[in-house]
Amino acid sequence: MNNSLVRRLLRRNVSAVQIAGYAFASLVGLAIVLTAIQFYRDASAVFGSDQGGVMQSDFLVVSKQIGITDRNTAFTPEEIAELEAQPWVNAVGAFTASRFKAVIGLEFAGRGLSSETFFESIPTHFFDHVPDDWYFDPAMGEEADVPIVLSRDYLSLYNFGFASSRGLPTLRESEIGMIPMTISVRGYDGRMARMRGHIAGFSSRINTIAVPEEFMRWANEHFAAPGAAYERPSRLVLEVNTPGDPEIARYMRRHSLDIAGDKMDNGTAAYFLRIVTAVVIGVGAVISILAFFILMLSIFLLLQKNREKLHQLMLLGYSPAQVARPYIALIAGVNTVVFVLAACATAIAARCWSSALVAIGVTPASIAPSLAIGAAIMAIVSAINIISVRRRVRKDF
Amino acid sequence: MIERITLARTLPAVFAGCEKDAPVCFSELWLHDVELTRGQRYLIHAESGTGKSSLCSFIYGNRRDYHGRILFDGRDTRLLDIAGWCALRRRSLALLPQEMRLFPELTVMENIMLKNSLTDFRSEHEIAQMLDELEIGAKASSKAAILSIGQQQRVAIVRALCQPFDFLLLDEPVSHLDSRNNAAAAAMIEREAAAQGAAIVATSVGNHLALTDYTLIKL
Repeated sequence: MNNSLVRRLLRRNVSAVQIAGYAFASLVGLAIVLTAIQFYRDASAVFGSDQGGVMQSDFLVVSKQIGITDRNTAFTPEEIAELEAQPWVNAVGAFTASRFKAVIGLEFAGRGLSSETFFESIPTHFFDHVPDDWYFDPAMGEEADVPIVLSRDYLSLYNFGFASSRGLPTLRESEIGMIPMTISVRGYDGRMARMRGHIAGFSSRINTIAVPEEFMRWANEHFAAPGAAYERPSRLVLEVNTPGDPEIARYMRRHSLDIAGDKMDNGTAAYFLRIVTAVVIGVGAVISILAFFILMLSIFLLLQKNREKLHQLMLLGYSPAQVARPYIALIAGVNTVVFVLAACATAIAARCWSSALVAIGVTPASIAPSLAIGAAIMAIVSAINIISVRRRVRKDF
Repeated sequence: MIERITLARTLPAVFAGCEKDAPVCFSELWLHDVELTRGQRYLIHAESGTGKSSLCSFIYGNRRDYHGRILFDGRDTRLLDIAGWCALRRRSLALLPQEMRLFPELTVMENIMLKNSLTDFRSEHEIAQMLDELEIGAKASSKAAILSIGQQQRVAIVRALCQPFDFLLLDEPVSHLDSRNNAAAAAMIEREAAAQGAAIVATSVGNHLALTDYTLIKL
């Protein structure tokens, strides 16, 4: 009985208009913040490459521009160290090129095809997708099977350029691994090796014909000319933590470096998206902060109006926690309703653009993390409200 | 349980610097060492403005603007925290403030239940009997706002008795009661205090609570 009596007494001066005003302002602020976060997460899936979003790191393949007189494109250890020291660089991987002659032979559609080729290798960490059989056992030497990862662009070149002009069948990624392949390697001294190989997968990130590092090391040691096995790399793959950062483009220009593909354009769009989202989140945050102050002012005004009653109740033996309870329940209730409505608004907004994402083949991000952020924000806001109310009530003891 | 309350050279801060002037120089309490013992009855007689309501507030922990010390069984009350005071106000100290402090928007019964449900000390039936005894049983469902001052005083007396106590502080409890109602109120207060073995500390500016036996202290 005493709880309902205390509630009746202390809620008498509650201004429904003030509370509704707070709830509306807070709802608008929180909904903007959560919707912006959700939009950012969804849009990241569009702008981010290789399944990774713009929130995550991105990979850039860089090489030196070939000058008119200076045709040396190798990176020195100092240049690599300088790149590694840049704040936007997470990791640097070097392409190791083959220093021997190689010919790939295929038995395909009743014809034998062969072509001179080259190989490159990079640390496995930089692959977007590492095939299951991506290894080479140097102990087996020439008896081992060599897995190869091709740039997805090469398959497109074959299917849409080469195959149609030669009357060859087009191929799907899943079929290619089944085609038997021979790799003939010839060293500087005329020594030859004939090995089995297969195409283990395709990469959108790495624009080359890639083999495992173990194979490259073994083959260069056995077939490269003395001293050539450890030549400096001409291409580097960079893992960058802020794709689209204008500083990256400035650095590349300053050092006359080229970036493969349109990665920088993509990155710039992602960077712009990040700025726009930050602005929208900022606007939402400002509205939320103002709403927070409206609630604090309303509650403090209410406490001021009920100051005498609070004091009288505490004179009767009620503890500050007991007399603060109706206000805490009010805050928790209003904030819960605000959160639920903001979550609904975010879910509805996300649904509006999800069909557009699905249409371009992107799976929308889960809404759960955005809601978790919203719940955390409201929990923090409520905690600050409640602590302030408790302090204020204790002052009236 | 509090066995004794000691006022050790207590003086309202407002009287600081006037120690040799009236009313402090004539007081038997301010700047003296006075001990109030559980089970005894005290009538503190004072003129207006001599600090009797302040005295009740100091003992009840409602105000701290005094010099000297107030001790509960030898322990300085300034060391009590909020939880300590809350516990004392539910178990050991009962107060009837001069201004009654009823909630006008609540009924008589609700005002009393506000205290009683905190202590769970009396049944609703007992409370109704006590209201009848003070001839305000018919007002149980009336809003406190429409009661006369005398009726409010009787409601506040019943409310103050709805808890266990060692010391019952009554600040001018019968100032607006006639002699018949005064006697009825005094009889109830003495009976309840005796049942708990508690002390009664009543203040008065003239219309004394009709206690049968008491120690008079001039403030």
